Amino acid sequence: MAEGAIRVDGLSKVYHGSVRAVDHISFEVRPGEAFGFLGPNGAGKTTTVAILTALLAPTAGTAIVDGIDVFSHPAEIKRRIGLVFQESTADADLTGRENLELAAALFNVPRREVAARIEALLDRMQIGDAADRLAKTYSGGMRRRLELAVGIIHSPRVLFLDEPTLGLDPQGRAGFWRYVQELRRDHGMTVFVTTHYLDEADGLCDRIAIIDRGHIVATGTPSELKDRLGGDILTVRPLAPNAGIEPILRAVPGVLSVTAQEGSFRIKAPRGEELVPKLVEACAGAGIPLAGVSLKRPSLDEVFLEFTGREYREEEGGMTPTDRAVRLGQVAQAMGRGRR
Amino acid sequence: MIRELGALTRRELLRLARNPQAIITSLLLPILYLLLFGQAFNLENLGGGSIPSAYFLAAFRGAPSYFSYFSAGMAGFVAVTATLFIGANVIFDRLFGTLKRVAASPAGAVEIFGSRLLAGMIQPIGLAFLVLFLAVLTGHAGLAGLDVTANVTVLGAIEVLLAIVLLSAMFASLFLAIGFSLEQPQTYFAVVNAVNLPVLLTSAALYPWGTMPPWFQNVASYNPITLAVNVLRINLFAGAGAYYPYDPAVYLLGLLAWGGVMFLVAILLARRALAPKK
Repeated sequence: MAEGAIRVDGLSKVYHGSVRAVDHISFEVRPGEAFGFLGPNGAGKTTTVAILTALLAPTAGTAIVDGIDVFSHPAEIKRRIGLVFQESTADADLTGRENLELAAALFNVPRREVAARIEALLDRMQIGDAADRLAKTYSGGMRRRLELAVGIIHSPRVLFLDEPTLGLDPQGRAGFWRYVQELRRDHGMTVFVTTHYLDEADGLCDRIAIIDRGHIVATGTPSELKDRLGGDILTVRPLAPNAGIEPILRAVPGVLSVTAQEGSFRIKAPRGEELVPKLVEACAGAGIPLAGVSLKRPSLDEVFLEFTGREYREEEGGMTPTDRAVRLGQVAQAMGRGRR
Repeated sequence: MIRELGALTRRELLRLARNPQAIITSLLLPILYLLLFGQAFNLENLGGGSIPSAYFLAAFRGAPSYFSYFSAGMAGFVAVTATLFIGANVIFDRLFGTLKRVAASPAGAVEIFGSRLLAGMIQPIGLAFLVLFLAVLTGHAGLAGLDVTANVTVLGAIEVLLAIVLLSAMFASLFLAIGFSLEQPQTYFAVVNAVNLPVLLTSAALYPWGTMPPWFQNVASYNPITLAVNVLRINLFAGAGAYYPYDPAVYLLGLLAWGGVMFLVAILLARRALAPKK
């Protein structure tokens, strides 16, 4: 693959003529890369995945996946990609093994390889003991791992994961991402993952695009995005309230900004670790005793706040624009005025 | 294509086999009708023996009793009650995400629709013969029973089998068309109920042919259930062929035409439902 594993140009999706779920987005994912699509509910993540996996027609724009135009060759795209949905889609009335056998047949896995691949996947996903139990008896974590196994049975070149750990406990999430990392390491798979768990995106992804209300507001490696905030964040806490400390802190070379924050002072600086001794020295020189100085790299929460101007969790729990569009469509359909 | 079709058909049959309540529900109505309507309407006893048996033989188109005539009708009707779950499964698969999983695979609408159609054609075969068997058994339990008076030939058995398969294919297509067009189970069952009863009531499954007014006979003669039960009755009852204007092959062709039309409508609707959403 000479070009990007995924190339998207000017992609838009408008539901019911008015709800713009995805608005003229463009990005590229490199072969073998883990690319995170990060945003709150309703940002346009699932719509983007549905378009890239040929399940949804876009309103405008182009998308190339693994060198194939998604909209001209949907069947070929489906052969080349793997997809793990945010909800369980494995057949609850089939056993884990039967679900995998079905997926192997649908993706035309060579017959002589099917049994060995299934055994290997069951073993890797640690559901071998439950392989011949109906999937409806599986725990949430087991069903997620079965979903992943179904999604990769045909060794896809590009794997789409649409909020795959939604509803899992932290242990289940950690386990799931460990399997994904192993797949990347062993097969060099390109992974496109949507998530609204910031820590997941930070830990897994080589690069991240932040999407908000249908727009990509920032793209880069997690470190690049954090660096765009101006570097590290230091917190200086004087032993006693002292109004005179702020100008002293500002005067230290390398300090970009100082913000008073509940008795402490939040300082942005490009190289925080080098600044710590200088800050301590400046305060000591001014006779201001300190209770402590802490240093941290900015989190993606702060990145999101920086690029969108809103707290990350703002829209969670509420109805998203897409939900609203779908609900409107259902109402219209119920009233006989059209369908989604 | 064949591999995908086989795998998806296997899945449908496994699911049906693992949900015996669907099979029991499919049988419930035809068996209730056999035990209630069939037993209650001993029409051949009307007149206390004063009416010549030839009259009843003509009314029942060669069947020796109303129950025998009615049993063949119920064997046809089970094709309707058994296939409606095939359409319902489309709705539930959409709700539970399974349809999305299959739609995300390279399997096309032909394989997805075809597998459900095949499962819908296979399942009612056993149930139709079970209904006939139970109808024979009731005769051995001191109740009215099915009396097979003809020597059923191999060709006759094949014709009966074909009639059930074609009738099942037609109704499976109809219910799949409805299933692929609707999104809510309650709407599906409301539409199916609105279809089922008129189709049954305008067929010759229930009423003695000889008591129907000519206009009703005209309507019923085109009904797919009538076409199928005609084939069953001609082959189950000795001399019944004399009461029918056509050979079983003609009725089978009629069923094929019904099935063909429904198949085309259903596959178009399935393709539309499975195409990338606009």
